[in-house]
Formats: sequence, C-alpha cells, structure tokens
Amino acid sequence: MSSFTAEVYQNEYLPAGGSEVNAIVTVTSGAGGEPAKRPDAAEILIVDTSGSMEVPRGKIKAAREAIAVAIDCVRDGVAFGLIAGTDKAREVYPSGGAMAIADDHTRQEAKRVAEKLRAQGGTAMGSWLTLAGALFDTAPGRVCHAILLTDGENLHETPEQLDAVLAACEGRFQCDCRGVGADWQVSELKRIASALLGTVDIIPDPTGMAADFRSMMETAMGKATQNVSLRVWTPQDARTGLVRQVAPTIEDLTDRGTQVDERVTDYPTGTWGRESRDYHLCVHVPARSVGEEMLAARVSLVENNEVLSRGLIRAIWTDDEQLSTHISREVAHYTGQAELAQCIQEGLWARKAGDQATATFKLGRAVRLASESGNDGTLRLLQTVVDIDDPETGTVRLRREVADVDEMALDSRSTKTVRVGPAP
Amino acid sequence: MTDATELRCPSCRSPLEDGDRFCEQCGARLMGEEPSRSGCRVCGAPSEAIDVDGFCAVCGARERTADDRVELDLVSAAAVSDRGRVHRRNEDAFHLERLGGSGVAVVVCDGISSASAGDVAARTAASAAGRILVRALEARTQDGSAAVLEGVKAARDSVERVPWTTRIDRGMPSCTLVCALCRGGEITVGSVGDSRVYWIDSDGVRQLTVDDSWAEEQVADGALTVEQARADPRSHSITHWIGADAPERPPRITALHAGRRGWLLLCTDGLWNYLAGAGELGALIDALPAGASAAAVARALVDTAVLRGGRDNITTAVIEINPS
Repeated sequence: MSSFTAEVYQNEYLPAGGSEVNAIVTVTSGAGGEPAKRPDAAEILIVDTSGSMEVPRGKIKAAREAIAVAIDCVRDGVAFGLIAGTDKAREVYPSGGAMAIADDHTRQEAKRVAEKLRAQGGTAMGSWLTLAGALFDTAPGRVCHAILLTDGENLHETPEQLDAVLAACEGRFQCDCRGVGADWQVSELKRIASALLGTVDIIPDPTGMAADFRSMMETAMGKATQNVSLRVWTPQDARTGLVRQVAPTIEDLTDRGTQVDERVTDYPTGTWGRESRDYHLCVHVPARSVGEEMLAARVSLVENNEVLSRGLIRAIWTDDEQLSTHISREVAHYTGQAELAQCIQEGLWARKAGDQATATFKLGRAVRLASESGNDGTLRLLQTVVDIDDPETGTVRLRREVADVDEMALDSRSTKTVRVGPAP
Repeated sequence: MTDATELRCPSCRSPLEDGDRFCEQCGARLMGEEPSRSGCRVCGAPSEAIDVDGFCAVCGARERTADDRVELDLVSAAAVSDRGRVHRRNEDAFHLERLGGSGVAVVVCDGISSASAGDVAARTAASAAGRILVRALEARTQDGSAAVLEGVKAARDSVERVPWTTRIDRGMPSCTLVCALCRGGEITVGSVGDSRVYWIDSDGVRQLTVDDSWAEEQVADGALTVEQARADPRSHSITHWIGADAPERPPRITALHAGRRGWLLLCTDGLWNYLAGAGELGALIDALPAGASAAAVARALVDTAVLRGGRDNITTAVIEINPS
C-alpha cells in the first residue's frame, strides 16, 4: 500500500455570480523508502547509435561509459535491457526478445556488450520505442522506465509515425529523454517525454553523460508505484477547465483525461517515488446564490482503482468582497510560473523568426517573472540569451551571439518551476 | 502536514476514534453518522447521494447539517441558533434550562471570530455559566446578582482553560456573554460584550443591556453623538469580553421586576444588526399571530435575520415571563 497525501490550497470564496474555482493540490508520496518493499522494476536503456554519434569521436565513447554507469545502478532482480537505435531498433542485450534479470553476472555481460557499440546508420526513434514497449510487455507487473539518448533529429520517420507510436506506448512505460550536443530537436524530445510522462534535458558536453545517467537511474530505481491517476470528480453541469501539473515542472494534462463515468475523469501521473508534486485545477461550476456552499471538485490519487488520498475543492458564494477578491497565494504563484514558461517559449520562437521586438518583450517579461518568484535556475538560463538591465521591470537586451546549447538548455528547462516561497 | 486518513472533528479539529458519534473534545455531533434522510435540498437526489463530507454526489451542494441550526423548545422558553448564510460554522452557543414552574436559567454567547477556537469558547462559557445559574435556581435562596457574578466568573475560568494554538492573526479564545436568571417576575440580567437582552411587553421594547462597544463608550463619555459613533468604522469593536486577555472589569448587571406578562429576549449581534432598532423588534413580534409560542417568536426573528443576509451567526433565546 502506497502512502499518499493530498492537500488543497485555494480561496473558496466566490463573488455573487462567480463560477470559476481555482485550486492548487499538493500531492506527496512517501513511498519508496524501504527497498525491500519496492515492487519489481524494469529498465531499458535506449541509445542512439546513428552515424553522427561518431562525430566528434568522443561521443559514442562517452555514451558507452554512461551506459556502464547506468547498468551498475540497476538493482539486483530488476529486469533490464539495452537497445541500440538507428533507422531501426536493435536489441543488443540480452537479445532474444526478453529482458535480463539483474545480478553481478548479467550486469557484467551487458557492460561487455555496451563496450562494443558502434555508430552507423540513421535515426527512427519511434521504432526504438516500439521495441522497448514490446520488451516491457515480457515483464508484466513491473514499474517500467526507459532512458532515451539521442544526438540528432528523427530523420527516418514522419512526425505522424512518431505520434502513432507514442499513442500506443502511453501508459505502458515512462521515458526520460536526453539530447547530447546541439543537433537534436528540443520540440521532438519534449513531445516524447511529455507523452511518456518523463523529463527532457540537454547534455551539452558528452563528458556530462555518465553523471546525468547515474542521477536518472537513481531516481528511476526509487519509483515504487506506477500508473497512479489523478481522479477528478466534478458535480453536475460543471466543467473542468484546467488540470495542469505545475511543480516540479509544468505539464498540461487537461486533454489527457480518461472518462471513468459521467462525473469522474482520470488524469495520468505516471510513476511515483518519494516526491511531491503540485497540480493546478480550474473548475467552472454553475453560480449559486450568496451563502451557498458546494463541492466544486473532489481530487483523489488512484492506483488500480484504489483511492490513496483525496482532497476537496469547495466553492462558497459571498457578497463580502474582501473574501472573494483575494487570490490564493499558491494559485497566483503557479499562474505566474505557467506564464513564465509560456513567455520563454514565445520569446525563443520570436527570436528564431527574427522578430526582435516580440522576443525582447517576452523574454523581458520572463526575466521579471523568474526574478519575482525566485526561480533562480530559470533566471540563470535566461541570462545566457539576454543581457538583463533591470530584472524588476524586465528590461533586457537580446544577446547577439548565443550558443546553440544555451538556447536549447533554456528551451528544454523552461517548464521547471519553483514552489511557492514562505509567506512575506 | 495533515495525514488525510486521520479522523478529525469537523468543528474543533480534535482527533477522533473510529466509530465516535460525538467529539470527545467539543461534543459536536459528527457528520456522516446520520445522513440526511430527505436527500439533496438543491437537486433532489436521493439521500444515498449525500457523501460522508456532507456534499451531494450529484450537484455538489453542501447539505444543511445539525450544526447549521439548533433549536430548543421548552414551551414557555425556547432558543434558536443558526449558522447564517456566510460563516462556515456556528460560533454562537446557548444554554437554556427551566426549573419548576417559573424558574429559567439562560445564557447566550457569541464566539469572537478573530480569536482562536471562538466556537469552543462560546460553548464552554455558556455551559459553565448555565450550570451555576441552574444551581442558584435549585438553591432558591441565593441572590440573583451574586449568582450572575458567579456564573460569569465560572465562564471566564472555563474559557481560560480552552486549549488553543498561537497564531499571529488570532487572539486567545474569547466570546461575549449575556445571561438571565428568572424567578417568576424577578429577573437578573448580566452582560459582557455586545450581545443584548431586551424586555418586550405591552408598553413596548426596552433594551436591558448596554453594549461593551467602542460606540457606546464614546457616547457615554459624551465624546460623540450616537450618529457619529455609529458611522465610525470602530463602532462595533467590543471593549469587554470573556477570555484570558479581557479587561479586569465586572459584568454589567441589571435587575428587572416584571409586573406583567412579557417576553425576555437574549440575542447575539447576528440578530440585532439586522433590526432597525428596538422598535422594529416589537413590530416583528406584534406581527405574529396572537398566542405565538416562545419557539415561534425565536424562529421568526432568526429567520428574518437569515433572510436579510445572515452575514453572522444568529442566536436568540426567548422566555415568556408571566408573573401572575
């Protein structure tokens, strides 16, 4: 039994005629502490071995080392496998259409195979994911996680082909994506990571791979529950306007729900270790008369139809403006963080399109929002793209020369949020 | 962080044992034990649709619970306490008992909402003072003023023992208190704070208490006129209350010898704030059918305040005094 708690932060008071109810739900999972109680895991490493991985020469070598580090992180008893990806997928370890069970012997074997990886061929990520899915199917009942490493674009597949594969893989395993160097497409990996509820990041220099793989593996090995859903009940005639994960990263789930019955929808949240995440919900309810109170939504964490924890989002109509005009600190904070991510995306897009005025305005607004909310990580990334004259007003100048990896780092990490700070 | 699975009293947040019907700490009846029998009052869904949190599983409406309105009808005396339309809980409390033919002990308290555990303070104060007044009725001999003084002291002692959590925006547990000890036509009234007692007979309506409020003190000192004082934003802030941080000052005590039949009415500001003065109180009672019971009077007055907005909790106790 996993231990989850859900806490709701909201201003439940609405003005007369008001119908929009906003709340932040903080979900905390205490699971994953004791290794003995963890369920079995399955782990697949998917490594791009297309021809470009030989250029520069150190790249494939660094990848081989990173794979060895990752394999050493695989706990005894975990099912694991290694896929080499080109324009087709090849199961290099254990081979034979199944997964290996980790012990000293299989880990050594896998590392020997990894040492022999050569780079040659094209890139078709959908085929890699399809093979991973087939291998995970041979290890049912496990918490399934994959790491996908690439250095280039998905040249040998159409976007439609990739989308079809993602639709088929959703909910079966989680996948963290990493791009090494500056020749891969942030939007492509974002699409994969988003569909498979994983993270996306850049590894600017191949030498950083081993450390990054170790940290991803440690997180993956700590996952104890998978296929946890955020279940949202809303009353008759209500409409769910927004379901968005807002911490640690922004991930919109609004259109990803599965309807359970007339009033209940499940939203996927993937696997959980010992961690805490925040969700922003917005529900539109029919307005009632002043003094009435209603339940606008009931939010529960559900694993295999078992309710792990729940929270109530309420609406109370009042004619006291002091109550109804106050915006919950948590809601305001995450509305700002979402706008921050949006401004970065729009700013970078405008910059690429050569629209300097829009880029300056959007990135300036992003600087201001990051600075106000104490999102120092994002502020540092912004500084690689703009020179900041005044963070409080968001006065910035676009940098003429920006390294591709810096822009891609900002793009990849723009959805990282900070949690609401202590009360002033 | 609260463990969501741990049971807590909806009223005072004390931990509960599985299966408790009432809170050990504050005595509140626990919701979910007896689901509403009539179903949802808004959409008409059957009673099974009302969930353990007291919400309708179809339309989400919050059902009225026992906590929303408490009525006590002792025929010649009655009390009604209503949550009102804005506050989330009822922080008013009353204690009403009849003894023998004409003895009545009554206390009405209003928990101060800017204080911690104002609701617990009000309940504690009402029952502590109520017990002393009932004992005085039983003893027969005790002087009314002495009994009221002792009752207020007991209320204060008990409120000082209410456990509370220090918060920067909340004061110590505290409440107002009005009480009356009635032996036939001999009535002793005590008051601390801005809850009120009225006497209504064929001559009209008379307010027996003086509010311990900023406005009243300014008027009493001659510093401001009644109109000036009422217009001031501070007019409603109270200058005396029951609580550990209250000024060291005795309650105001008034004795009344009622020579003829009439109503003694105690109420919190949730009621009198909705009345355009004492005159309207008399008019409302006069408008009731002849021979209306104490309960009918109390209900009509509370309903009026609810209909006019119900911004605060509303409590009144009505006692029919018949000296003959």
